[in-house]
Amino acid sequence: MNTVPTLTPPLHAPASGPGWYWIVPRVAVALFLVAIGALVWWLHRNDLDEQRATLINDVLWMEQDLRFHLDRNAEQMAQIGRDAGDRRLDPQVLDARLRSLIANGHGLLKIDTLHATDLTDGELSGPARLSGSTGRAVYLPPERTPDGDVHFDVLVPLGGDLGWMLGRYSIAQMLSQSVPWWFAERYKLDVIDNTETVLASKSKVAAEHDELNYALAFDPPGHGLRLRVTAYRSDTRLLPALLVVTIVGLALTMLWSLWALRRHLVRRLAAEQALREEHSFRTAMEDSLIIGLRARDLSGRITHVNPAFCRMVGWSAEELMAMTPPMPYWAPEAAEHIRALHDGILAGGAMSHGAMELKFVRRDGQRFDVLISEAPLMDARGRHVGWMSSVLDITERKQAEELYRQQQEKLQFTGRLITMGEMASTLAHELNQPLSAIASYSTACLNMVEHGTGTLSDLQEPLAKMSSQAKRAGTIIRRVHEFVRRSEPKRMPCSLNDVVDEALGLIEADARKRDIRISSSLAGGLPDIHADRVMIEQVLLNLIRNGMDAMAGCAPERRRLLIQTGADAEGVQVSVRDNGGGIPPEVADKLFAPFFTTKPDGMGMGLNICRSIVELHHGRLWFEAAEGGGTVFILKLPAGGAAP
Amino acid sequence: MSASESQIFIVDDDDAIRDALGWLFRSRGHAVRTWPSAEALLDSGEIAHCGCLVLDIRMDGMSGLELFGWLREHSHTLPVIFLTGHGDVPMAVDAIKQGAFDFVEKPFNDNELVDRALAALAMHRQQVSKRAALQAIEERVAQLTQREIEVMERVLAGQMNKVIASDLGVTMRTVEVHRARIFEKMGVRSAVELAQVLATRK
Repeated sequence: MNTVPTLTPPLHAPASGPGWYWIVPRVAVALFLVAIGALVWWLHRNDLDEQRATLINDVLWMEQDLRFHLDRNAEQMAQIGRDAGDRRLDPQVLDARLRSLIANGHGLLKIDTLHATDLTDGELSGPARLSGSTGRAVYLPPERTPDGDVHFDVLVPLGGDLGWMLGRYSIAQMLSQSVPWWFAERYKLDVIDNTETVLASKSKVAAEHDELNYALAFDPPGHGLRLRVTAYRSDTRLLPALLVVTIVGLALTMLWSLWALRRHLVRRLAAEQALREEHSFRTAMEDSLIIGLRARDLSGRITHVNPAFCRMVGWSAEELMAMTPPMPYWAPEAAEHIRALHDGILAGGAMSHGAMELKFVRRDGQRFDVLISEAPLMDARGRHVGWMSSVLDITERKQAEELYRQQQEKLQFTGRLITMGEMASTLAHELNQPLSAIASYSTACLNMVEHGTGTLSDLQEPLAKMSSQAKRAGTIIRRVHEFVRRSEPKRMPCSLNDVVDEALGLIEADARKRDIRISSSLAGGLPDIHADRVMIEQVLLNLIRNGMDAMAGCAPERRRLLIQTGADAEGVQVSVRDNGGGIPPEVADKLFAPFFTTKPDGMGMGLNICRSIVELHHGRLWFEAAEGGGTVFILKLPAGGAAP
Repeated sequence: MSASESQIFIVDDDDAIRDALGWLFRSRGHAVRTWPSAEALLDSGEIAHCGCLVLDIRMDGMSGLELFGWLREHSHTLPVIFLTGHGDVPMAVDAIKQGAFDFVEKPFNDNELVDRALAALAMHRQQVSKRAALQAIEERVAQLTQREIEVMERVLAGQMNKVIASDLGVTMRTVEVHRARIFEKMGVRSAVELAQVLATRK
């Protein structure tokens, strides 16, 4: 009822509390963070596994490489030994081949040739026999040299009686010569024995990272030696790192944006709450107004009314909004007028109208007066979307005004009575003095004549005085005349029809109030009259008022007053005909007499003054009984500029 | 002051009325004195010579009613006839209630006014002479001694000299002397005459 559908959508109440939809995003965010963590961890693990696999691969490769070198050395040593035995190589060539082998020997320090005779040493004999029987190279246990290096020997059987070749390796040298640079860059390579003692190491720096390491048996030379590779901290690999950084960054961005969204939502909710309160406050204000408010769109359809307006007219807001002009709350007798105003406003003339006084009717048929102010209704974009009216019920005010006017009239009437009374009293007193004196003088003269006490000359003085007193009375009368003459008519040529129209305009409101219909039938082409139009107007008003008074007791349909103008050879005339009860014969004789009245508050001067005015204008005023009851008063005035 | 000396006084601020009323009264053979205002009359100090006052009720300055009030305050009992204009009748009726003799509405029947004034004058004169007679009796009574008054009361009660003498414890002779003195002082010749004189006192 109190919303404006076309202008603002109604606001719905918010869901009760933050509720479930706050839990879902929170859980989702938590799960998302867990998933991201898991992903990062998984990537890391994957990476480590991959690194480990690479490490193992590299270690295996390293070990194979070392073994390959050792095996090749052993073969070459055996070749050289056999060549030396079979062909009896020149010692110099032998020496050169040996040197060449040592030089490329991957840790080979020296090579000796052993013969069976040399195997007195118990230490060598066992392995020598073993190698001789198997035909394969046998590695001796490593030995630590005083300078901290670890050496180990290899016995390569030459077959037959040729003996053995004994090669000595330095582990440290072997590592430094065999391990390629890229390997050393990435890993620390240690050779350890059973007791985890590092025998040799190829490294630049110590690896801090002991997670990624791998050890495998270093066989040959065997004897519990093992190769242990530890990866240096690997360089952060760009792509995954970038990915992780991006993921974390995006996650943070998402969290921030969620937080920002939430903050925005909270603010928005607060703003909505404020708006709702403001709206309900305004609605409450509007509801408590006693001034009716009505909004209409450009086509004149009602789009909004407040409760005060509904109370005034008695229709509900829904009913009113479904209505189209003519509205049922327009008083039927004023509907045409209101319709014209309504159309005028819609055509854009609201500003020029200002406040209008109209007559509305309630649903129960009761009439009431309203004061309406119209103003264009602009929407938020300044577009003209309709008209806003404030409607004020001014019935009581009008009634009070009417009462005041009546009282004022009564007061004026009383005032006039008092003034007239005083004037009459003063005049009577003024005239009484000379009259009394004259009476006294005349009685004195009579007395003198009767008693014969005075001579004719004695009578002279009182008679002279009498005549002077009579003059005095005459002066008083003349003064009154002069006073009256000051309000002599000011005659001008004028149209009788115009005077009638003007009088009708003045009496119209009064007639409507008394529910009397005045119709006029004015003859065209009337000659002008030479008259004081205000006076003639007063005469007409008086006659019309008398006519209306005469019909006060009539049935409403008989309350009709007819005013006609016309002309004949004698002059122009206007007649005022009522449908009242007529004038009884005993009243008719005294009708124009001064101080005669049939009205409770009348002064009895009206018709008397009317006749005086008409006679001043050399006209006639009389009345006749009208056909079908009532009376017709006829005022006849000479046409044209009759001689004053 | 003798009763016949009192005159009719007319107070009216209108010269013509005053003059005309003067003529009227003279035409009936009565002299009147006229005054243009209440103040003029009071200032002249001749109010004591007035036997009937014809007074205009409305006047500039002191009005007729005010003058009437003043007279009542100062115990003047002279009769007052008011001349009233149109609309002054209620005022005049009030004045009658307060003891005015009469009122006449202007324009008036003139001879009637004269008659009323003469009647008032006569009444006043009578009152004055009556008052004078009473005063004379009182003066005579005042001359009597205490014993003479006692004797007079008994004489008026119709007692015989003998009875009076025994009542008062005096001789018959003494009573007779007293009686003679009383008659002399009261100016009467008999007990009957004495009773008549004293009857007016009651």
